[in-house]
Amino acid sequence: MATTKTDPDQRHNEGREPAKLASDLLTADDYHELLKQLYMARYFDVRLIKEKKRGRLRGTLYSSHNQEGIIVGALYGLRPTDWISPIHRDMPAFFMKDFRSGWDNPERVGMTIEEVCGQVWGKVTSPGRARDNWSHIGSRAKKIIHSTSMLAGTIPAAVGVTLADRLNGLDSVAVTFNGEGSTAQGVFHEAINFAAVEKLPVITIIENNQWAYGTPTHYEYSLEDFARRADGFGIPGLVADGQDVLDVYNKVCQAVEFSRAGNGPSIVECKTFRSYGHGDHDDDRAEKYRPEEEVEEGRKRDPIAIMKKIMVEKGFLSPAEAAKFPAEGKGASEVTDEDFPPEVVAYLNRGVESAVNAPVPEAHEGGMWVFREEN
Amino acid sequence: MATATETGVKKNFLTGLKEAIAEEMESNPNLICMGEDIGALGGAFGVTDGLIARWGRERVIDMPISEAAIVGVAAGLCLNGKSVMVEMQFIDFISCGFDQIVNMTATYHYRTAGEVNMPMVIRGPAGAYGGGALYHSQMNEAWFANSPGIKIIVPSTPYDAKGMMKAALRNPDPVLVYEIKDLYRRRDLEEVLPEEDYIVPLGKASVRREGDDLTIVTYGQNVYHCLEAAKNLEKEGYHVEVIDLRSLVPLDEATIIESLKKTNRLLVVNEAPMTCGFAGEVLSRMSEKAFEYLDAPPARITRLDTPVPWVKPLELFVLPSVEQITEKALKLIKY
Repeated sequence: MATTKTDPDQRHNEGREPAKLASDLLTADDYHELLKQLYMARYFDVRLIKEKKRGRLRGTLYSSHNQEGIIVGALYGLRPTDWISPIHRDMPAFFMKDFRSGWDNPERVGMTIEEVCGQVWGKVTSPGRARDNWSHIGSRAKKIIHSTSMLAGTIPAAVGVTLADRLNGLDSVAVTFNGEGSTAQGVFHEAINFAAVEKLPVITIIENNQWAYGTPTHYEYSLEDFARRADGFGIPGLVADGQDVLDVYNKVCQAVEFSRAGNGPSIVECKTFRSYGHGDHDDDRAEKYRPEEEVEEGRKRDPIAIMKKIMVEKGFLSPAEAAKFPAEGKGASEVTDEDFPPEVVAYLNRGVESAVNAPVPEAHEGGMWVFREEN
Repeated sequence: MATATETGVKKNFLTGLKEAIAEEMESNPNLICMGEDIGALGGAFGVTDGLIARWGRERVIDMPISEAAIVGVAAGLCLNGKSVMVEMQFIDFISCGFDQIVNMTATYHYRTAGEVNMPMVIRGPAGAYGGGALYHSQMNEAWFANSPGIKIIVPSTPYDAKGMMKAALRNPDPVLVYEIKDLYRRRDLEEVLPEEDYIVPLGKASVRREGDDLTIVTYGQNVYHCLEAAKNLEKEGYHVEVIDLRSLVPLDEATIIESLKKTNRLLVVNEAPMTCGFAGEVLSRMSEKAFEYLDAPPARITRLDTPVPWVKPLELFVLPSVEQITEKALKLIKY
C-alpha cells in the first residue's frame, strides 16, 4: 500500500471510523466461491486461447490471464443492480457479473455463458447479434454498459447511468474497468471530473498491467502510483494488489461504500501484469518490446496461487486440497482441463456447445437497426 | 412563463426554439438538458433562458467545458431511460465531442441490435455571414451525414424551428440540430406560431417558392440568399423553385425529384465547403435518380474549400452570395 504525503487511504477515511476490511465478513464459503470464480475466469481465457489456435474463432482475443483477481474481486463487491463497464481484457466479467446470486440463478443480473460464447463465436445468440466483435457487447437489462474500442470511451456513459439512477431515487453505483493506457485519454479526465463535481457514484478501476499494447507505463505517465491522479479530481484514490482478489475486493468495497453514501467517485488502481501480448495477434511479437524475463517475473504472482495460500493459512483449504487443480502458474499451452474443477469446465462447455450449434445471423441483418425510427 | 404561447404575437426563430424546449420539458419529465452555461445564464444566446428557474439543476445541468463528457454522459442517461437535449455552445465545438457522437451515440442502436436507442438531441448555433471567424461560423453537417445513425436537421423559419425541435425532442434517435444563429433574431422572419401543440416531421423538405424554370435546393441561411436570387430572376421573367431541405438525414429525395420533373434543372447551394459537402450528396443522388429529367448539367455553389475568415470582405469572398446564385441560375436556365 502506497503511503505518500496525501495518502489516498487517509483521505478516504477522513472523519470516519477506520474501515473494517470487507473481507473480514466473508465466510469460508465465500473464499471457496472466490477461488472457484478465479478458476472460471482463468479457464474461460485459456480455453478461448486454445479454441482460437484451433481456428474456431474469428477476431482478436485479448487475454485476461493473470488479471482475474481484479475482475472477480471487483464484481464480488457489487449488488445485482449495480452497473459495470468492462473492456476488452475483462471478457469474463460479462457472464460473471452478479455470480454471487448463483451462477445459474435465472434472476441473476448478468449475461449467461451461452450469450457470451454466442458473442465470441459470432452467432445469433450473442446479445448484440454479433454486430461488433469480442467484448463489444452489453445489456441495459443486465446493467452492463456496451463497450467500444475507444478506450475510456464508456466512462462518461457510466457517469450518465448513475445520474439517471440518482434522478430515479436509486443508489446503485457503476464500476468501470480500464487499462492504465486509457488514462491518458481526454475523456477519462472529462468524465471523472464531472462525476467528482456531481458526486456521482462511479468507481474507476485501473487495471495497471504495465503495458499499453507495446508502450510501457513510463511512457504513459509520470507517477509512482497512478491512483494519485485522483488528488487532481479531489476524489479518493486507492491502490490494490491486483493479484490478491481479497485486496481488490476490500478496496472496491471501500470505494463502493464511499460512493453509496453519497460521497462521489473514486479511483482504484489495481497493480497487475499482462501475461500475453496485447491481443493474440501480437503474442509472437511481444518479445520485440517486452523482455522475456519481465514476463516470467510478472507471471510469478498468480492470483489463484495467492488465494490458495491465504486459504491454507486460514485453514479453509488443506495443503492436499490446495494441490488439486494446479492451473496456477501455467500458460494456456501448459494447462489441461484436469487442472480445473470439473464444474468450471462443465459450465464453459455448456456455453461453447451452445455457441457452436447456434446459427450465424442472416446477412441482411447487416443493414438493420441504424435507426429506431425512419424519421 | 416568459415562453408561453401568445396568440397573434409574431415570434422570432429563437423564441420558437425556446418554446419548443420549454414545452417538451413540461410534457416529458424524462427530458434532461445539458450544456455549458445553460443554467443561470440561459445559454450563450438565451435559448435555455428560464429553464433552470422552472425545473432546477436536476434537469437543467450546467456542464464543465467538456464536450466529450457532455455527450457521453448524455448517452449514459439515454441508456438508462432518459431523453437528453445537449447544447453545444457553438456547433464548431462539436468536434471536441466527435468520438462520443459518432462512435458511441450514433452506433448504439446498431451495435445493440436494436436493444438500446439514444433519444438525444444535440443542438447549437451554426453558420457564417456574421463575422464569427474560423471557430464560430462552421457548418460541419457533412462530418455527421457521413456517420450512419445520426439524423440532421437545419430549420430556417420560426415555425419550422419550433415544430422540428419538438419533433427532434420526441424522436427516439440522435438528432443534430443546426440552428442558424444569424436567423435567431431576424425581424423579417418573425411569424405567428400556432397556439396548439404541433410538430414538423423530420425528413420532409419544404417548397419555399414555386417555379418551373429551375430547382434550387438549399437549406439554412442560404434559403434566403436563394429566395432573393429567385426574386431577381423573376424580374427577368424566370420562375425559380426553391426547396428548403430542412432535413438532411433523412433526405426527402421525392420532393426534389418531383420538382426536377417540372424544371429539368438543378442547382444546389450550401455554405459548407465543397469537397464531400452535402451539396455534392444531393447532386450525386439526383444524377443517379433523376438523370433523365435533367436538361442541364446539375451544379452547386458552396463555400470555397477554405475555413471561414474573420473580416467581412474575406468572409463574403469565400461564401455563396446572391450574385453568384443569380448568375449560376441564369446559366443553367439558358443552357
